[in-house]
Amino acid sequence: MSSVTLRKVVKRYGQVEVVHGIDLSVEEGEFVVLLGPSGCGKTTTLRMVAGLEDISAGQLEIAGRVVNDVAPKDRQIAMVFQNYALYPHMTVRQNMEFALKPQKLAANEVSARIAEAARILGLEPLLARKPAQLSGGQRQRVAMARAMVRTPKVFLFDEPLSNLDAKLRTQVRVEIAKLHRRLGTTVLYVTHDQVEAMTLADKIVIMKDGHIEQVGSPEEVFAKPRNLFVATFIGSPAMNLLPAKVAVVNGAPVLVANGFRLAAPPSIVSALDPGASVTLGIRPSDIRVDEAGDYEAVVEVDEYLGTEVLLNLRAGNHELVAQVPAAARPAPDRQSVRIGFDAARLHVFDTQSGEAIR
Amino acid sequence: MSHTANRDRRIAAVFLIPAIVVLFATTIYPMLYALWLSFRNYDLAKPFIPRIFVGLANYAEVLTSKAFFHALITTFKLMAMTLSAQLVLGVGIALLVSQKLPGMALARTLLLIPMMISPVIVGLVWLFLYFPELGYLNYFLGLVGIGPVPWISSTQWALTAIAIGDIWQWTPFIMMGTAAALQSLSPEPYEAARIDGNSRWDVFRYVTLPQLKPVLVSLLFLRAIDAFKIYDIIFVLTKGGPADATEVISLYIYRQSFTFWRMGVGAAASFVSLIIISVLITLFFKQMQRGQAARAR
Repeated sequence: MSSVTLRKVVKRYGQVEVVHGIDLSVEEGEFVVLLGPSGCGKTTTLRMVAGLEDISAGQLEIAGRVVNDVAPKDRQIAMVFQNYALYPHMTVRQNMEFALKPQKLAANEVSARIAEAARILGLEPLLARKPAQLSGGQRQRVAMARAMVRTPKVFLFDEPLSNLDAKLRTQVRVEIAKLHRRLGTTVLYVTHDQVEAMTLADKIVIMKDGHIEQVGSPEEVFAKPRNLFVATFIGSPAMNLLPAKVAVVNGAPVLVANGFRLAAPPSIVSALDPGASVTLGIRPSDIRVDEAGDYEAVVEVDEYLGTEVLLNLRAGNHELVAQVPAAARPAPDRQSVRIGFDAARLHVFDTQSGEAIR
Repeated sequence: MSHTANRDRRIAAVFLIPAIVVLFATTIYPMLYALWLSFRNYDLAKPFIPRIFVGLANYAEVLTSKAFFHALITTFKLMAMTLSAQLVLGVGIALLVSQKLPGMALARTLLLIPMMISPVIVGLVWLFLYFPELGYLNYFLGLVGIGPVPWISSTQWALTAIAIGDIWQWTPFIMMGTAAALQSLSPEPYEAARIDGNSRWDVFRYVTLPQLKPVLVSLLFLRAIDAFKIYDIIFVLTKGGPADATEVISLYIYRQSFTFWRMGVGAAASFVSLIIISVLITLFFKQMQRGQAARAR
C-alpha cells in the first residue's frame, strides 16, 4: 500500500498551469525528496499534498484514501515549514500543546508525547523558552517536535534547512535522518539542495517546470541520469558536456568530439545512429589524469579542496573540470597533463531531445 | 568641543526658537496661567474685580462637589461603553476587512471616513438621526415596531445615544490599527494551525489575539485619553443634559467657567481631572504591561 499517491495531479492559478499532471507514489515509510530549481513546482506539489493548495485536476491519495477534498487536519499529516512557523508568543511546550489541542487527548498523554519528542530532539532544557530565545537550529527542531507529537502518517518538510547556516544545516540534516530511521514514518521533503536530497532520500524526484524529470534512488539519478537536465542538476561539480558526432570506424561507432575520438559505451552501441549529433557527458570524477592518458590537456586553474583537487582543464577547444584525489594532484608547475576517459562511464544524450541514449 | 560643533549648536538653537516660542505661547503659558487661576477668585462676569488669591478653596470646592463626582462617574461610564464597543467592533471589522475578498480594500478606505469628520459635524449628523419625530433612526425602528425611542431627550437614553455617536466615529481608529497589525503577522503559523486542525476560535484566541495585544493596548490607551476629553459631540447633542445625564468632566468645567463665569473653579477642576486621569490611566496600563511581562516569562 502506498502511503501517498499522486495521479495526474495538476495545479492551475487562473489560466497558468504550474504543475502539469504529475504521477508519483511514495511507499509507506519511504523518504522521498522533491528536488528541483526554484519555480519547478515542488513546493506547490507539497502544499497540495498538505491541503494548503487546492488540486486543480487529478487525484491525491494518502494511506489509500482519496483526500482531494479532505481538510488538511483530516489528512493525518504534519508539516515543517522553511521559516519554522512557530507561535512566537508561546513557549516550546505550549507550541506542542497547541498542536495537540484538536486531538483532545488526556493531559498525561499530552505530557508523555511532549516529553518523548523533547527527549528525542534534545529539547528538554528548552521547553520553557520562547522561539525568540532559540537559535535557528533549535527552532527547526521545535518545529519537528511539534510535527512529531501529532504522530502523523506522513511528514511534510518544506525546505526545512534553507534558513540555517551551512554548519547547522549539516547537523539538522543528520537529525532528520535519525528521526526518520527511528520513527519510520513516510516523509515527503522539498529542497533545492542536491546534497540534502542525495544524503536523505530513499527516492529522489527531480522536477523542472512543473514536470517530473526522473524518479530514482540517489545512486540511480547520479549514475543513470535520464536526460541532460538531470545529468547537470545532480552532481557537484557539474557534469562536463561536449558536443559530438557519431562516426563509424571499422564497423564500430565512435564518438567524435572536436579532437577527441572516444569508443562508445558498449551497452548503447546498437542505439547509436551514424552521423547523429549527440552530447557527451563526463563526470569530473570519471576523468583519469595519468601518464597513460590518450589526450593532452593544460591545467588552467587548480582548486585544492583538502581531500581532492578540482582541475580546470583546457584540451583543444574543450573546457573540462576533473576531480582527482589530492594525492594525485599534478605538481603546481606542471602546466600540461595527460587525461583519459573510460568508455563505460560516458553518458551519451541525444542533442535534439536531451534524452539519454540507452 | 571644536569650533565648528559650537557654531552648529548655535545655528540649531536659532532654528529652534520659533518652535519654542509657539509652544510656550500656545501650551505652556496657558497651562501655567490656568494653574495660577486655579488658586484665585476670578469671576468672568466681573472682570475688573482683582483676582484675589484664595488658596486651595477652589480645589476644596471641586473635591466636595457632588456635581464634579457625578461628572467624573459619567465620564467613566461613557468611556467604558465606548471603549469596549470600539474594541470588539474594531477588531471584528479589522478581521473582516483583512480577508482576501473582493472590495475589501475599498471597504477599508470607506470605513475610515467617520474618523476624518469633525466631531461637531458628527454630532449634527447624529442629532438629525436622533430627532424624535423626523429622525431616520426612529423611523426605521418604527418599521420593525420599536419605539419611538427618546434618544437625546430622556435621561435614560442620552448617554447611550452619545456613546453610539462616538463609537460610530472612533471604531475605525481601532480597526485601522488592528488591520495594520494583522498584516504584519506572518502567515505560516496559521497554515501550521490549519494542518494541526486548531479551530478558528482557538486560532484567534491563542494565536492572533496575543500577538495583537501590544497594539490593542496602545490603541486603547490613545482612545482612553480622548474619551476623557470628549466634549464636542456632547455639546452638540445634549449640552450635558437632560438634567445632568450627560455632563462629563469637560462639560462640567465648561459650565463652571462659561455659564457660571467661575474661572478659578473651572481651572481647579481641570487640574483635578488631569491628575485623576493621569494616575488612573498609568495604573491601568502598568497593570496590563505587568500581566504581559508575566506571560512573556
